[in-house]
Parts: sequence; C-alpha cells; structure tokens
Amino acid sequence: MSKKKTRVTVELTRRDILSLFGVATGSAVAAVVLTSGPLSPFAGLQREQVTAGQESAGHGATGINHWGMVINLDRCIGCEYCLRACSAVNDVRTDKPWNIVVPEKTTTGHPFYFSRPCLHCQVAPCVEVCPVKATFVRPDGLVVMDYDRCIGCRYCEVACPYDARKFNWETNNEENPYIPTWGIAEVPRRPRGVVEKCTFCKHRIDAGLKNGLVPGVDPEATPACVNICPVNARTFGDLKDPQSNISRLIADNPTIVLREELGTRPSVYYIPPKEGL
Amino acid sequence: MAAIPIETKPVKLNPGLLAWLALIGLLLLVGLVSAIQVFWHGLVITNMSNTVPWGLWITIDLSSIALGAGAFTLSAIVYLLGLKNFRPIIRLAIFVGFIGYSTALLTLVMDIGRPDRFWHPWVYWNIHSVLWEITWCITIYLTIMILEFLPVVTELKFFNRWPWVHQAANWLHRATPALALFGLLISLLHQSSLGATYGILKSRPIWFKPSMPILFILSAVAVGPALTMAVAFVIEWITGKRTIDHDILRTIARFSGFGLLVYGYLRFWDTMATTYYGRTPSVIQGLTLLRESTPYNFSFWVLEILLGVVVPAIFFLAPYFNRRPLFLVLGAILAVVGVIVNRWNVTVSGLTVPLAYSPGTLYTSPVGSYFPSLTEWGVALGVIGYCLLMLTLGVLFLPLFAEKEAHA
Repeated sequence: MSKKKTRVTVELTRRDILSLFGVATGSAVAAVVLTSGPLSPFAGLQREQVTAGQESAGHGATGINHWGMVINLDRCIGCEYCLRACSAVNDVRTDKPWNIVVPEKTTTGHPFYFSRPCLHCQVAPCVEVCPVKATFVRPDGLVVMDYDRCIGCRYCEVACPYDARKFNWETNNEENPYIPTWGIAEVPRRPRGVVEKCTFCKHRIDAGLKNGLVPGVDPEATPACVNICPVNARTFGDLKDPQSNISRLIADNPTIVLREELGTRPSVYYIPPKEGL
Repeated sequence: MAAIPIETKPVKLNPGLLAWLALIGLLLLVGLVSAIQVFWHGLVITNMSNTVPWGLWITIDLSSIALGAGAFTLSAIVYLLGLKNFRPIIRLAIFVGFIGYSTALLTLVMDIGRPDRFWHPWVYWNIHSVLWEITWCITIYLTIMILEFLPVVTELKFFNRWPWVHQAANWLHRATPALALFGLLISLLHQSSLGATYGILKSRPIWFKPSMPILFILSAVAVGPALTMAVAFVIEWITGKRTIDHDILRTIARFSGFGLLVYGYLRFWDTMATTYYGRTPSVIQGLTLLRESTPYNFSFWVLEILLGVVVPAIFFLAPYFNRRPLFLVLGAILAVVGVIVNRWNVTVSGLTVPLAYSPGTLYTSPVGSYFPSLTEWGVALGVIGYCLLMLTLGVLFLPLFAEKEAHA
C-alpha cells in the first residue's frame, strides 16, 4: 500500500519537474536574449558601434584633439630604441615592456619588424570590462589608467586583444638598466597589484599643451618612443586635425589597423611594408 | 511558529569528531599560512603570469558559485512553483549556497591585486562591465541568503534571552518567499554572467560565443541541487540520523539528471557548431593548439562529458541506480568534479591560446602554460577547510533539518 502511495507522489513530481524545466530554460533563454540580443538595453550602443565612422558621439575622443600614432613597418629596423626610451621614461620593468618590438615575416617571406605600443582603442574592450572604471578613454582619445582605483582583477588584461596590459605581480624594486642612457624616469613607478599600460606619455602631452607646445611637433610634448626613433618610423599627432603630419600621412599612404574586424577602432595606424603583408 | 526554539542536544566530543576537527584545523592552518604569504609577498608567488593571469582561484570562484546554485534552484521550486513537499531541503540548500558564495568572495579577495580595494565595485560603478554586475549580484545574493537563513540561526537556545530576536526572525521568515523570488532573479543574472565574462571577449576565439552564459547557468542549475542532495545523504551517513526524506532526495537527483541531459545536449550542439560544422579558422587553430600542447582533449571528453555529464545522468535517472543512495552521492561527486574541470578548462584553456593580433605571424606571444603553485594549492586547501568547518558547525549546532515550516 505504501508503495502505491509512493508511486503517486513520483508521478506528480515528474510533471512538476517538466513545468519546472520549462521555467528554468525559459528564464535562461530570456536572460541571454536580454543580455546579448537586440532587446538588450545596450542595443543602441552596439548599433552605434557598428555604424560609427571615424568620429561618433559617446565613444572615443569627444574633445578637440584625438591623439594617434602612425607606425611605418616599412621603415622600422628593429633597433628597439623605442622600447628602451619608453622603459626609461615611464620606468617600466624590463621583463614586461609596454612597447614591444618583434621580428616578423610577410606571407612572401620578406622579414620586417613589428612594434606595438598600446593602441588606444576608441571602443576599448579593456575599458568596457573594468568593474570599477579604473581605466577609461579620455576626451583626447587616450586610454588611461587610474592606478589609485584599480583593484587588480586583471579582467582588462584578459580582455585586451593586443596584449598591451601588464599586471604588477610584485613591487618593482629592480634597477632600471635603461636609465639614464635612454632617458630619465618622468613618472612614478606603479604600485604592486595594479595593471599598467602605455600612456602615450600623457604627462608630456598634458604639460606640453599647457605650455603652448604641439604634441607630435615639439619633442617635449611628444611620446618618448616617437622622439627616439632613428628612422622616423613613428609619427605622432592629432587625428582630428586634417593638416597635422599624422593626418596627411594617413591620407597619402595605405594604412591598416590591427584586428579591424573587432571594431575596437585603434588610434595607432600601421603603414605595411612595401612588399605587402 | 518561529518562536518555538528547537531543542538541540549538547555536542559530545568523540575521537572521530576530534580527528575530523583536527583535519579541518590543519586545512585552515595551511590556508592561513598561504594567505598571509600572498598578502605579504603579493601575487608574484602564484604561478599566474601575464599570459595566464587567471588560474586556480578563479576556477574555485566559478565552481563554488555554480555549486551554490542549489539554493536558488530549490528555493524557486518551493516558493515559485509552490512544490511544498521540497520544503524540508530548503534550509540545507540555502546553507550550502551560503557556504559556496562566501567561499567565492573569500577567494576573490585573495585573487585581486589590491584586496584593500575590494569595496571599489560598490562605489565606482561601470555598469557596462559584467564583472561589476557579478560583484553586485553576488553581494546582494549573499545578503539574501543570510536574511533567509537568519531565522534558522535564531532558533538556537542562545537567542532565547532576547525575545525581540524571535520577533524579528518571524518577520524575516514571512518575507522568505519574496526574498527567494528576488534571489532567483539575481541568480539567473549572475550565474549566466559568469559565463558571459568569457563569452563576450571577442579577442579570444575559443571563448567568444553566445552559448557561454547558457552553458554556465545550465550546469549550475543541474549540479547545484545534486550537491545539496549528496550533502544530505552524507550527513545522514555520518550522524546516523535520517535527515531528509529519501523520496525528496531521489526526486532532486532525477531533476539534476534531466538538467545534465539538457546541459549535455547544448554542450553537444555547441561543440558541433563551433568545430565540426562551423570550422572558424581561429577556433580550430586554438583547439588544435590545445590538443597538441595540453591534456585538453582528455579532460574535455572524459572528465567533463563522460564522467561529468553522462555517468551522473545515468546514476540519477536509471531506476536501478536512483534507488541506491551510494550511486546518487557518487553521481553528485562526479558531476561536481565535472563542473570544476569545466570551469578550469574554460579559464585556463582560453588563456593558453595566445592572442593573434600581429599583422605577420599568427601568434606573437608564446603559448601560455600554467600549473598552480604550492601557495595557490594552500589557499585552495584552506578554502576547502572553511567549507568543511561551516558544514560541520551547521550540522552540530543548527537545526538544518527541523520541519518547523509544517505548521507555519
């Protein structure tokens, strides 16, 4: 008799389980549709991302300037001066430079050198994922860090498509071998436990503008890597000013940006080697 | 009602219990020493690197939150669907959920570079960040679980000296259905957002897919209740006292079995769509690299799918096994391991594949490699010690299996 009773309970629960699963799957689907589909509250944002041309409201540089860089892969000789000057001026640890130089080959086998600072994306994945807004796009297009706010979760490092962010696993007590040969430290070292990155030498840009200098023209207001390059492979300037060196360079040359399909809209443009890529 | 305190017998120390407590103490000691090391030296003493910046601890976070999902799933069954006969397990489910979520927060504090700034996400908002949303949801849900569970704690004799405590508890107890409903919404959100943490990263081909959030929440909904069920059985075996009606536990096992089937089905199509049919070059390259340089294939097919989904589903659903508590507990253990391996595979494998961004060669940076350091394992052991301590204290001192709801 008790067995019969048990059986009835089981039948009931089975039906219940079905309805329960309906709800569970329904909710899961709803959650996904609401967070990633066209119904999402961020749909407007995504549409803007897709249709945006060079300039758009709400994303990227909103001020009068948009600082950018052109790197001429055809000129670069792989001397690593940019890496050294950067590491000296920003007092960066030698084992994780902000600015890397890598030897590479085109598809036709022609060797060339590829270098990469932070690309200062206008739709920056790192900025989007930071849980505390410790990193953000400035009105002049620079992607900068607030080292006093960063909690060190490293999500930005994971999200950056270009490997441009480095975490401080320990306090940097290392002697900097690039100082004073390649420059002197112009900014303090970042504390242990935060993520750091290339700043386009924002301290130079900000101070230079205050003193009436033009970044990209006056060396005092220009990133260290651009100044030191012996073959002028790097050009810095205002992407919003059509008369700037950099704008004219982009107008006159074929340029690419890294992983354009991701829609990150980097501020760093590359002139490919004349042999092609 | 809630004002009636449950009589608890004074706890007698016997050799078995003492040995057990000593083991827990040892685990906690190891954890404490490791934690102090981490806070003192910084994360440099872990084996995480700039190539693989997330590792064992993130796996623990993700797993413990997923395994705590029994709380919201079973709460939803009782309070939303009104299946009152599952009520006896609610207390245990919420307790296990609380342990899981507090474990996650503990480990997170270890994992961030600046533990002194753990409160920043509460003050500095970036509403576009899934991690921000997860932090908030976990905080809110942990609070909800504490509120849901407080009435149980106040049933301790200790609180009899303050009558207002029982008054407040009674009031809280009445709010439980509302709390459970709110908790359900919050849980659906963050359990899937944990998957989205990976799924939205367009720069990482083997993570970037919309199925990520669904797979995370489905595995959590399937395995969370199974863990609660297994805990109930194990407590019964150890204390020798009937905890929860076996019919309820077996039904929960069946529910988990169905959940695993749904999860496995989606997993199947996810795999087929991304590899066999989809053949996106970046995904294939990434997976090939994983197959050649890591035991990814074995851990995916054997640990995650066969032992983590198929076998437990059979144990939970086939009447022959479903009748035998041993198989139910075994199935739950396998499913739990499957979830942990899955979270590990997602995290570490995704980071092992280097980023492809340079115009020339495919991968500029070296293939990532990661195996946790001694300190990381130490913290993990400490966390396990914390879970066991909480469970033991709960079993010894809290009326986890009292059926006072019956006449509420």
